[in-house]
Amino acid sequence: MKRRKAGPSGVVEAPLDVRTQALAKEEERPSVKDGRLRTYEPGDNAARFLDLLGRRVSRSLAVSLTACVHCGLCAESCHYFLARPDDPTMTPVWKADQIRKIFKRHVDWTGRIAPWWVKAGTVRNDEDLNRLKNIVFGTCSACRRCTYNCPMGVDTGLLVRFTRGLLTELGIVPEGVFNVSRDQWETGNQMAVTEQDYLETLEWMRDEVRTELGTNAVDIPVDKKGCDVLYTINPREIKFDPRSIAHAAKIFHVAGESWTLPKWGWDQTNFGLFSGDDKLGAYVARNVYEAAERLRVKRIVISECGHGYRSTRWEGYTWAGYDQKLPTESVVVTLKRYLETGRIAVEPSRNAVAVTFHDSCNIARSGDLVEEPRDVLRRVCADFREMFPNRRENFCCTGGGGLLSMAEYRPLRLEVAKIKADQLRATGAMLVCTMCHNCIDGLADVIKHYRLPMRVVQVMELVSNALVVPAESVK
Amino acid sequence: MPHIEIEGLRIEVNEEGFLVHPDEWTEETARLLAKAEENLDELTAEHWAVVNFIRGYYLEKNLAPMVRKMCQATGFPLMKIYDLFPSGPAKGACKVAGLPKPDGCV
Repeated sequence: MKRRKAGPSGVVEAPLDVRTQALAKEEERPSVKDGRLRTYEPGDNAARFLDLLGRRVSRSLAVSLTACVHCGLCAESCHYFLARPDDPTMTPVWKADQIRKIFKRHVDWTGRIAPWWVKAGTVRNDEDLNRLKNIVFGTCSACRRCTYNCPMGVDTGLLVRFTRGLLTELGIVPEGVFNVSRDQWETGNQMAVTEQDYLETLEWMRDEVRTELGTNAVDIPVDKKGCDVLYTINPREIKFDPRSIAHAAKIFHVAGESWTLPKWGWDQTNFGLFSGDDKLGAYVARNVYEAAERLRVKRIVISECGHGYRSTRWEGYTWAGYDQKLPTESVVVTLKRYLETGRIAVEPSRNAVAVTFHDSCNIARSGDLVEEPRDVLRRVCADFREMFPNRRENFCCTGGGGLLSMAEYRPLRLEVAKIKADQLRATGAMLVCTMCHNCIDGLADVIKHYRLPMRVVQVMELVSNALVVPAESVK
Repeated sequence: MPHIEIEGLRIEVNEEGFLVHPDEWTEETARLLAKAEENLDELTAEHWAVVNFIRGYYLEKNLAPMVRKMCQATGFPLMKIYDLFPSGPAKGACKVAGLPKPDGCV
């Protein structure tokens, strides 16, 4: 089987595909009709882009736009450059410079006085904007490893997201990003799952766990008021992989947790993080926060999802301008508490094979959740081993930043995944555990492409495997 | 264009191995996709039960069915779908049934 190999310019020249945008307009889809989601209109987009740029630059962005001294340290931290060391366009600094030069030319005073000196530049037309789109969406997984390693504190991840946001406002986005944003705006969840399908799948999983444990005491409550925990999930769990919901139900049952899922506001994922659209980010996050308030819960718990965790736990409150009143945590933190306080007991020998842990970018580097998953894994696995580098220095699964939903950039993504494949292979583990749905698919792609003898699992699956079900739980 | 070439037949697929022209799907295509993408040497009656259901659902609703619907229609438990299609319902079963790649975190 032959796959196209991306040349240095292959990705950068990817055309703008507006077929689904045109269809959405033709069908008068609500999000497009009322202007929440912008579609591409040929015309003077360069001028509109420059106008938006001038109005949107914040203080923190200005720092990242001006503080770079071009030392080149970021190059060594980027898996794109490490896999293509002869291609300078793969360095984070080059990618950031594509927006930086426009800022210098049109906003910063240095570029107006001495444009040649500060290498100022501009965008002239839609072709330039499309090229910019391919750079910020297609050659960066927004993993922020370069940000973490920058001695000047330049947040290239922030610059990339900012640029994505400006382009999103002009409809100059990859088709996959448009489609998912459309569904999330219109249905409140990124996979357009209907309420009926949602409820049916939950009932189905409840029945599966009842059969497994042999007791009808197991429940998956929906919209129950006054619980301790509001559990929010990734639509992927409903649509294609509900095993994780069954694991959660089983563990919550044994732990005696008072929990519920909301009927609305259950999607903790957020494509606003990937597209750079703060309004979408605010809308989706607010749905979750309002569900928690409506149901008067004591805590919001987020299922294993990297960008969902970052969006709901950290960024969402800012996007939505929402006063955080409740603790918001990853389910892995909840599991850690159960294990430490003895609410659940585990038998690690049931997970006998070697397990390594992949830190999700949005959870470790951008979410500061580093030791908690390790504390859990050390208790539930007999052979836990680190991969190197790890923790905040781990490499991206290569599917981050929404790249999984952008098929056009996949050849380059898999080419640079060589770094990840080498890192995985060196562990000698048979299972790679991650607490992110995006990483599951990203890593599964790497494993398949590089023919690695391993499988991806989530923390919840390993805990569920090792869980000792006491007799009183199945009465 | 990326493509699969197997047993003298050429099928155009996108970068993720999904059919470029979902309407050009035939049973022969399914067999070749299963071989190339899922490493399945043959499709059993159980595989076909899943594939035919997905195909019919897609033609009717222009949408990939949820895994719940796949299990309801075929009577298989959830784990059976993963046994049949190692890449799972979305990247395995839907791909073999000739659907375009589902949107979102998959």
